[in-house]
Amino acid sequence: MLQVKEQLTCDVLIIGGGIAGLMAAVGAAEKGASVIVAEKADTRRSGSGATGNDHFLCYLPEYHGDNKKEIIQEMEESQIGGCCDPELFELFADLSGDQVREWHSWGIDMKPRGDWEFTGHAKPGRPRIFLKYAGHNQKAVLTREAKKRNVRILNHHLLNQILLNDEGQVAGAVCLDVTEDIPSVQIIACRSLIMCTGNTTRLYLPKTAGWMFNTANCPACTGVGRASAYRIGARLINLDMPHTHAGPKYFNRCGKATWIGVYKSMDGKPVGPFVKKPTRELGDITGDIWMEMFEMRRKAGEPVFMDCTETSPEDLEYMMWGLSNEGNTSTLDYMKEEGIDLRRHMIEFQQFEPILVGRGIEVDKKCASNVPGLYAAGEETGNFRGDIGGSATFGRLAGTCAAEYALKNRSQASPELKKLPVVQESLDFYEQLFTRADGTGHPGWKEANVALGQIMNDYAGLEVRSENMFKAGLIYLRRLREKTRNILACTNSHDFMRCLEVLDLMEVGELVMLCGRERRECRGKHVRVDFPFTNPLNNNKFLQIQKVSGEPVLTWRNKR
Amino acid sequence: MPPVINKEKCVGCGTCAQICPVDVIKFNKSLGMPEIRYPEECWHCNSCVLDCRQGAIRLRIPLPAQLLYVDVKSVRGE
Repeated sequence: MLQVKEQLTCDVLIIGGGIAGLMAAVGAAEKGASVIVAEKADTRRSGSGATGNDHFLCYLPEYHGDNKKEIIQEMEESQIGGCCDPELFELFADLSGDQVREWHSWGIDMKPRGDWEFTGHAKPGRPRIFLKYAGHNQKAVLTREAKKRNVRILNHHLLNQILLNDEGQVAGAVCLDVTEDIPSVQIIACRSLIMCTGNTTRLYLPKTAGWMFNTANCPACTGVGRASAYRIGARLINLDMPHTHAGPKYFNRCGKATWIGVYKSMDGKPVGPFVKKPTRELGDITGDIWMEMFEMRRKAGEPVFMDCTETSPEDLEYMMWGLSNEGNTSTLDYMKEEGIDLRRHMIEFQQFEPILVGRGIEVDKKCASNVPGLYAAGEETGNFRGDIGGSATFGRLAGTCAAEYALKNRSQASPELKKLPVVQESLDFYEQLFTRADGTGHPGWKEANVALGQIMNDYAGLEVRSENMFKAGLIYLRRLREKTRNILACTNSHDFMRCLEVLDLMEVGELVMLCGRERRECRGKHVRVDFPFTNPLNNNKFLQIQKVSGEPVLTWRNKR
Repeated sequence: MPPVINKEKCVGCGTCAQICPVDVIKFNKSLGMPEIRYPEECWHCNSCVLDCRQGAIRLRIPLPAQLLYVDVKSVRGE
């Protein structure tokens, strides 16, 4: 039996110490709440913002002027749009400027060239919405700011279950301490919990066979927030709408944001409608908002390249500086070692596998879910997406609101969580994972992850979606999940963590399939070969999924 | 093997093992040194390279993740 450590107690428990989680910690602590952050790795370098970023979505009145509406429209029509509630855009626009100024005061340089500068990800003739900043130190700074406010950070602690009290309110969580070779169980009692577990990688597999962790976003973010929230009755939203990134083909970590060039065919023809000549002001937004282009060109027999050979020397230097701030130093090191010279070489780009960024837990204007005491922020949320800017701004807001809720409920006695049936079941299951691993041929997590990924790629992927593909995929995935739960095994903390990750991913995968099947139309990257029409009756609607009496229930609601 | 540790330079401080976002590096207590235990799980994020005060780590990008590049003049027959 795994060792169960003494129960910890706090007002606000935050799961995930990425950008949203650390900002939530700051927000909650400033309200006077006692705060614990449970982080799977180490907050100094965890999550998709681990090594930096260089573009921060925001509305800054002193730069943009009073035309907030136009800026919001531009956000909706950028790569982050499509699944956001207008009321959250409005709120984000109102709060994001303060967040920029606060980060700058903490030592994350938000005007590294002396003044506010908005460049890249832009359409010609339209306002620019991404602030260029030097975020290479963002995780170290945010960790320091959280600690300054007496936030307790538990590194190498992952979440497995959220716990409810008899009234159905959040009462705590089961976390696993994976610091040592054999994990121990850490139960944490809390009055509110903020889910900040980021993206969902390794649900679909990248094209590089055998290299599941070769992903643009952090491959340790594997859907525990969505899965555990769903299990306690939280509504998830927009899982039916796939999203993808694009970037250098096969070297998926690179990302594409900061490149200053033009997407071109091999013979030098621009493939997108926006730019013919490279400029730092615009970049080439084709790869942000029309990623299908890569596959369309490939099927026409044409690889697509990022061509920086006509970029001015000043813009090229600016781009390399941006890549470094964005945390893409491994790309820069690699290009140097390999002798890649962007003045004469162009690099092939591709569309990456789908991820659930901004698809997940539904929140209101207080970042609260429908479950009392459960909040969410960052890429975890299903009805808003703002990347780093969104994670920072709504992370802080979630912290404030979750703390207010917790402090109001402080008089409530915290139950002895270890005795809850779900805790006992979980402990039994952990035990099984370890005792099965006795050399009798039980599979490990890798087999399970590959098996899941291939089903997702083929039956809920980008290429073909249809009623019967979802139907078959659901049968295969449910069978796989059941089998996996019964035979999966591990021998140490690392593999134990991966086992739990894969099981969460399987649960999320099933929900993706149920939602995809329900959306019987084409919309964005959700391409139903059996329903080729985009139904205008759905233009204002999002699809939700929630567990009711043990069964998934799908509902549509209007955008708000 | 993505991260490569130069054992001559490494002083065994353990920072790389603590901060790796994907648990690729483990600190071997009996040797007092970090080791690359799960190389195929590397994200190529460079955190270990950036945070090693001794400059003892470099990343070797695995062959499947190679960048695909062409010389513009030669492919366009210029």
